[in-house]
Amino acid sequence: MSPLLQARDLTVGHGAKPILSGVGLTLERGEVLCLLGPNGAGKTTLFRSLMGLLPVLGGEVRLREAALPTLSRRDIAARLAYVPQALTTPFAFRAIDLMLMAAAARLGPFAQPGRAERERALAAMAKLGIADLAEAEITRLSGGQRQMVLIARAMAQGAEAVVMDEPTASLDFANRIRVGRAIRQLADDGAGVILSTHDPDQAAALGDRALLVGRGGALAMGKVAEVMTPATLSELYGIPVRRELLTDGALHFRG
Amino acid sequence: MLGLIAALLVGAAVGPYPLSLRQIAEVLSGGGEAQAQTVLWNIRLPRVFAAALVGAALSAAGAAYQTVFRNPLVSPDILGVSAGAGFGAVLGILLGLPVMAIQMAGFGAGIGTVALVMLLSLSLRGGGQVLVLVLCGIAVGALAGAGISLVKLLADPEQQLPAITFWLMGSLAGIKRPDVAAALPAILLGLAPLIALRWRIGILSLGDDEARSMGIEAGRLRLLVIACATLMTSASVAMAGVIGWIGLMVPHMARLITGPRFDRLLPVAMLTGAGFMVLVDTAARTIAVMEVPLGILTAVLGAPVFVWLLTRGAKSWAE
Amino acid sequence: MRHFPSHALKGAILAALTAFPAFAFDGQTITDATGREVLVPANPARVFAAGPPASTLLYTLKPEAMVGWVRAPKKGDLPFLLPATAELPELGRLTGKGDTLNLEGLLASEPDLIVDYGTVNDTYKDLAARVQEQAGVPYVLIDGSFAALPQSIRDMGKVLAVPERAETLAAYAEAALAENDALLAEIPEDQRPTVYLARGPEGLETAGKGSINAEIIERVGGRNVAEVESKGLANVSPEQVQGWAPEVIITIDRDFAANVGSMPEWQGVPAVKNGRVYLAPSAPFGFIDTPPSVNRLIGLKWLAHKLYPDHAKGDLKADVAAFYGLFYGVKPDEAAITALLGG
Repeated sequence: MSPLLQARDLTVGHGAKPILSGVGLTLERGEVLCLLGPNGAGKTTLFRSLMGLLPVLGGEVRLREAALPTLSRRDIAARLAYVPQALTTPFAFRAIDLMLMAAAARLGPFAQPGRAERERALAAMAKLGIADLAEAEITRLSGGQRQMVLIARAMAQGAEAVVMDEPTASLDFANRIRVGRAIRQLADDGAGVILSTHDPDQAAALGDRALLVGRGGALAMGKVAEVMTPATLSELYGIPVRRELLTDGALHFRG
Repeated sequence: MLGLIAALLVGAAVGPYPLSLRQIAEVLSGGGEAQAQTVLWNIRLPRVFAAALVGAALSAAGAAYQTVFRNPLVSPDILGVSAGAGFGAVLGILLGLPVMAIQMAGFGAGIGTVALVMLLSLSLRGGGQVLVLVLCGIAVGALAGAGISLVKLLADPEQQLPAITFWLMGSLAGIKRPDVAAALPAILLGLAPLIALRWRIGILSLGDDEARSMGIEAGRLRLLVIACATLMTSASVAMAGVIGWIGLMVPHMARLITGPRFDRLLPVAMLTGAGFMVLVDTAARTIAVMEVPLGILTAVLGAPVFVWLLTRGAKSWAE
Repeated sequence: MRHFPSHALKGAILAALTAFPAFAFDGQTITDATGREVLVPANPARVFAAGPPASTLLYTLKPEAMVGWVRAPKKGDLPFLLPATAELPELGRLTGKGDTLNLEGLLASEPDLIVDYGTVNDTYKDLAARVQEQAGVPYVLIDGSFAALPQSIRDMGKVLAVPERAETLAAYAEAALAENDALLAEIPEDQRPTVYLARGPEGLETAGKGSINAEIIERVGGRNVAEVESKGLANVSPEQVQGWAPEVIITIDRDFAANVGSMPEWQGVPAVKNGRVYLAPSAPFGFIDTPPSVNRLIGLKWLAHKLYPDHAKGDLKADVAAFYGLFYGVKPDEAAITALLGG
């Protein structure tokens, strides 16, 4: 069976100017793939290209066996969900309203979400333990709560694969842990998750595999323990990096 | 809904021509004296209906724009439609066209202006982006504004200039049944897609990337919304002149009731806008012997209401 | 040298100052309506009129001194104007806001005098002083109220150095006003009709009591129904007109006059029902206002015939012919007069 998401020899960038080239990746069911790289390496650009929000400059992206350009937006949305870095709407939607929007890919153009969509949305929220936030306005939620809502929405969207752009970047310690658990849960339920992060420890804890992208191209891709070596990370970030094995088996990186 | 019905009743019952409630009831039931019939059927009721129509159209367009441009401070004029329609209409006045032709000129110019803005923004680098679009709208709108000033300068100061000035301040004083009949199809045509797609349009308020990731063709849908809102605003401006504030303020008022979901916001905004406009227009034709331009009244009544609403807590949108 | 005779020095300077212009400049000092003392040429030959009312007054008094029109005459106006003035350029207006002429353009037309005729208030006084100072051309403002018309004609005649011509026109004005008063004396207040002045193609612009645009309707005894708050023009609704139920409608809009009979919202208004909607002639100048100037003298007679068909004396066509001959210097034939008055 072909992977949920597959990119071959991808060149991405804005306009005609390539930022990243020669990127290859695959995402399978039930795994978390962490994307690591310095600022400006083009992680967000890569993600937008994977979702078909930006035309690729070379290579190809496939969702299962279908090439991305052959799919409509609805088809893509049914297979690939997106958790943005942060909400950007200026309006005070209730969390449940935001959740319901996940149904757009499945509903006809003139349809409204009904009871079934609502149940599905509430179920996703309950699964992440945030059912009590359903009626709250998102503008009053903490950053962590908002991120949980967005992850729940991605679950409710029913896609097998989820793209997350730095989902924990602006969260405090506790929320980072909670959101991390939610991401793991998503994968354990069978979804494939690809996320970007600036925290190697988190990537090591959360990820099954890692993709390292430096300025200009991909450095390495593979199992976390194999790819995230002091040597590759030193090269990636341009500073010497040491790796420690903590007593519980977790990897810890120090500068 | 009840508020709108009450506003309609007040609008129908009040006016400078003295009609008792009994006379009105007689006329509405098909009888009454000839003069009362003329006043009610030919003058007052078309006007009340037109006010409701314009209020609903401008409010719907405003709500749609605020949603798709993700900015609560946007009004239907943001892409220059009012300035464009105004330019077309005052040009018609300058050329001494018949009234219907003036309205058509306004309608056409409003649509043409927005079409120009769209073409311009799409042809630019980064075309289709909201910021580029809005900047093009501001630029073209400013051009149309300059055109209006030029027309005012060229106009005959004794006869045409006052007509232009009154027109630009907005008024339903001269409204007739044929005017309403001409504007109605355009407004309904613009409204239908907004209503049909109301839930999906709301998703655009999340931003393009997010909306598209959920299966919405954001660019195409926004284009459709802009076309619809332009159609409605142009028809309104052509019929009633330039009436500010409604399209900005009423969506806010409605959002306090419904929250930001566009599918709920749209009908409430339309009802609120229609009711508000009928009341404002009733005031316009009754508080003084002369007609008070609607643009003045909506601002005078609207600005304080607006500020009051905001002080009550701007909870309908984030700071 | 105990005391320097300071008063003598002052006198000498004063003499020098006042004597100097006398050498360079052959003129007279006029106190205009704003109270400003203005030194004007003895015989102004190139006069710029600041607005349409002044332009009309200037035309009737001294057409040969016009340097241009505020607005070029329309095609229909030409048969009623002196051919020599028809070719004058359109220069624009200079009266307050909405100027369409800058001072350089003004100076390019090389005027030796600027006249304005109209409202007298601090704004116009200030404007006159500023333009005069900046452009170095004397600027005289004459009171434009209708009541003061004969005197204003004389004042303007004095400024333009055509006192005899002014006296003739002023005498006509006095006679016209006297005739009007005599007519009104015969007609009791309650027999004077209520009048609505309709402007614009929809007929919904009007001018209220006390407005310069409707002034002569009241002067002829018409009871203006529009008791509006505005001094200028106002918009009203057809329902308001229905409520007023005017007996006579005077309009200056050709389209409105032609269409009012078939406009549903005007049905039932007494003036419409009884066919008493009158289109005021407008060539070369309007009978009611446009501009509010001496042209309104013939409007006075025309209105008397329209408002009181049973009382008004004299042959309107002959009066119109005489007025056009005297004031505008043209002799329209019978057919032209008939066409002017709307057949």
